[in-house]
Amino acid sequence: MSMPFRRAWALVALALASPACAASPPEHVYPGPLVQLVDRGVIAEDTAPKEDLRMIPPEVYMRTYLQLFGGLAPLDAQKRARGGDGGALFDTWDDYVSALGFPDYRLDVPRQTQTNALMAATFERLGVALCDRAIEHDLRAPKGGEAPAPKDRLIFAFDLPAGDLDARAFAPRFDVLHRTFLGYPASLAPPQRTARFFQLYLDIVADHAKADPKSRLSPREAGWAAVCYGLVRHPEFHLY
Amino acid sequence: MPSIPRIPAIFATLVLASVPLALDATSAPPPSAHRTLEDYRHFRIAAIDLLGRAPTRDEIGAFERSDFDMDRWVESQLGGPGYVERLTRIYMDVLRLEPNLLFVNPSWQLYRHDVLGPDGKPVMVYYRESQRRRPPEIDGEFCFSPDETGVVIRPRQPDMGTPKNVTQKLLDERTVLVRPWWLYRDYKAPSPSQRYGDAWKDPDPQYKPVETLREDADHQPVVAIRICREESSALQIGHVYASGRTKPPPKDEKPPGGRFRPPPLDRPYATQHRGQDVECDTRSGLDFATDCGCGVGLERCVPGDANNAGNAFYYPNHMPLGPGLPLDDARQSSQRWFPYWWSREAVRMLDDLFASDRDFREVLTGKRTFVNGPLAQFYRSIQQSSCCGPEAAFGMLEETEPLFVPTRVPEDLQPQDVSTWKEVDDRGPHAAGILTTPMFLEKYASARARGAAVYNDFLCKSFLSDVQSLEPSKEPNLMIRPGCKNCHATLEPLAAYFARVEPSSFVFLPQAQFPIHSNTCKLDKNGKLNGNCNALYDAAFADDKGATLRSAYGSPEHADQTPAGAARDITALPEFATCAVQRVTSSFLGRPTTADDEPLLASLNQVFVRSGYRMKALVRAIVKSDEYRRSNNLSSTTWRSGR
Repeated sequence: MSMPFRRAWALVALALASPACAASPPEHVYPGPLVQLVDRGVIAEDTAPKEDLRMIPPEVYMRTYLQLFGGLAPLDAQKRARGGDGGALFDTWDDYVSALGFPDYRLDVPRQTQTNALMAATFERLGVALCDRAIEHDLRAPKGGEAPAPKDRLIFAFDLPAGDLDARAFAPRFDVLHRTFLGYPASLAPPQRTARFFQLYLDIVADHAKADPKSRLSPREAGWAAVCYGLVRHPEFHLY
Repeated sequence: MPSIPRIPAIFATLVLASVPLALDATSAPPPSAHRTLEDYRHFRIAAIDLLGRAPTRDEIGAFERSDFDMDRWVESQLGGPGYVERLTRIYMDVLRLEPNLLFVNPSWQLYRHDVLGPDGKPVMVYYRESQRRRPPEIDGEFCFSPDETGVVIRPRQPDMGTPKNVTQKLLDERTVLVRPWWLYRDYKAPSPSQRYGDAWKDPDPQYKPVETLREDADHQPVVAIRICREESSALQIGHVYASGRTKPPPKDEKPPGGRFRPPPLDRPYATQHRGQDVECDTRSGLDFATDCGCGVGLERCVPGDANNAGNAFYYPNHMPLGPGLPLDDARQSSQRWFPYWWSREAVRMLDDLFASDRDFREVLTGKRTFVNGPLAQFYRSIQQSSCCGPEAAFGMLEETEPLFVPTRVPEDLQPQDVSTWKEVDDRGPHAAGILTTPMFLEKYASARARGAAVYNDFLCKSFLSDVQSLEPSKEPNLMIRPGCKNCHATLEPLAAYFARVEPSSFVFLPQAQFPIHSNTCKLDKNGKLNGNCNALYDAAFADDKGATLRSAYGSPEHADQTPAGAARDITALPEFATCAVQRVTSSFLGRPTTADDEPLLASLNQVFVRSGYRMKALVRAIVKSDEYRRSNNLSSTTWRSGR
């Protein structure tokens, strides 16, 4: 081993052994020439206000729902939605009030501004109750009577031609429902919306024709109910 | 979702008019060529905001007509019920003026307990807690002693003992039959005859006493209730009673009549003022008089159907669409009865402010309010029963400057008139918008909570300190205490405005009896204030020469200006208008406002202030703005494209 090498090892050993030398000497950072950073890409800053669609307030949802139910008071709508047929379509408003996102000022619970699973399930349940009871009210004749005239129907404010419905006959009737729930003509909706709903109608009608045991809705009623479900749960119904 | 079928592209171009259908008259006409999707969306959000619901098919049909004038439609909705509810909702979301509290006071709460009558059948007897009675065996207790009934009966406590029959003589001696206000419309008549559900033909549909108040145990109609004799007194002025008991009895002496505790001792005031007049609708009437009761038809009291909280009336737990559209109808405790109406009063004030398009500053400065039957009953007599306990030691036996002067209550409102609301133009000299309503004062129970609520809700500012260290300190002045001062330097002077309204209460402490600096309240040699002083004056700001009224130290000047001064000073700040504009704009745009919105907010602020702080002008300007039209439908793409 050469002398310089041996001396170096000795210095290392001394450094490790001596506590006084355990700390590093202060580091000095000397100013150096600035190195120009090279552009690697350009990302434009998006300064557009980011606005998301918001949920309609629960008060608006409930008032709209009641209006669709024929302008009933909440307790009357509850009675009609519950019905007497054991359908268990509806519980009570008290069961839904917090799930719908209402604030509770007594407990300082703020209004909900975002959906959650329970809220979505509540929308589903209320929507189904509305559509099914509307089918019964609008499209069925009471015992010894006739179904209401189209002008007196709550949701399905159109007549139904005898026999199967084709696309041409479906479209204007769908438009009535589209305006009812979403507030504008179906012709202004994204392309294929009416077509998609017509296909849904056809599928449901076909499924119910084969259903065993029979549903409490006829195939045609079930088809319209499904269209109604689709619209009353549509994001455009719940957002604004 | 089923797979998308290949269906003729008829749908994309289908025009309703081209299809002969038996659509009824309610079906909308074909859309006008100039109505775009954006137009429909604008109409829908405006309907949601101003009508309170999505538009109907008919309304959409009207919108589609070429003669539809959007400006005129907006104008027609401003001031309507949907608009009023929309604005009230903004402020109720902030203020949250609904009660989660029980309001109970021995002066007005009637409990009910059975005693066994001469025939062994239960007899329901109503009574007040702490009622003074001359016989020492029942003074301050139920009007039958345990020796007489076999049972120790106390409110909210389980019975102790085995019941035994009470003689008819004793029953007649201790109780009387009364036809009370909750059963009789004409309870003030010498012989009331218009009984609820019977001769009282048209009771207010929202006034619903529970069945257990209207029927006895055998479900027979209650024609008259039996109540302890003292409680039945209809006197307005009673007399200070002193029993002569000034010292506690020896420990080995049994309390008389089998009672579980000795009868109450005379307070110094009773000894000094024996026989003098005392107002019966005050706390002092209960504490000092044996001849003060519940008044004519028991109108100074509210019943409960049990020996604890008890139920009294039906009313809804939930009514998010207003009292006319309740979601339920529940039996409710009498202790929630007045808080329920306090909340309705606050909503009513806000509704009126927006419906009548009053100067919005009146939300804090206004002296008007609205009362119905229960609130009339409350302001006429019940509110006084919150006073006076410790205040009596300062010479205030009854409220001398109540926030709501009882004589301003409309005389023709009876407690059962729950749906009849009447305007009170001026509640009194200390009235200050919602700040002096019982609901605000009970919801925000302390002076600091009240000051903070005003700061947050009407100036849009919050107390968030940028300093997060709290150093140990004995400094009682939070305005200078390290770590605390960052917020309290602002909060304490705000809280001081409320120093003259007692915490958790609405009792006003007048300057005459309660100076900011009292020379009679001072620290004793142990460094303590005496009991009565301690309740109202602050030992932390006292010495051997005097003491400062609680919550007043932050600004004695503000304390003397009272909440009305807070209202005046807060509404004079420019932030009051900018906060209102920011709240309403943010709510209508459906998002928090940002720096990008400054030009909009500035122009809206100008409109609002120039209009005299009228909300209609503000909302009109918002709804017509491009920002509102684009709201909720704005993406980066549409913003960039300038659509």
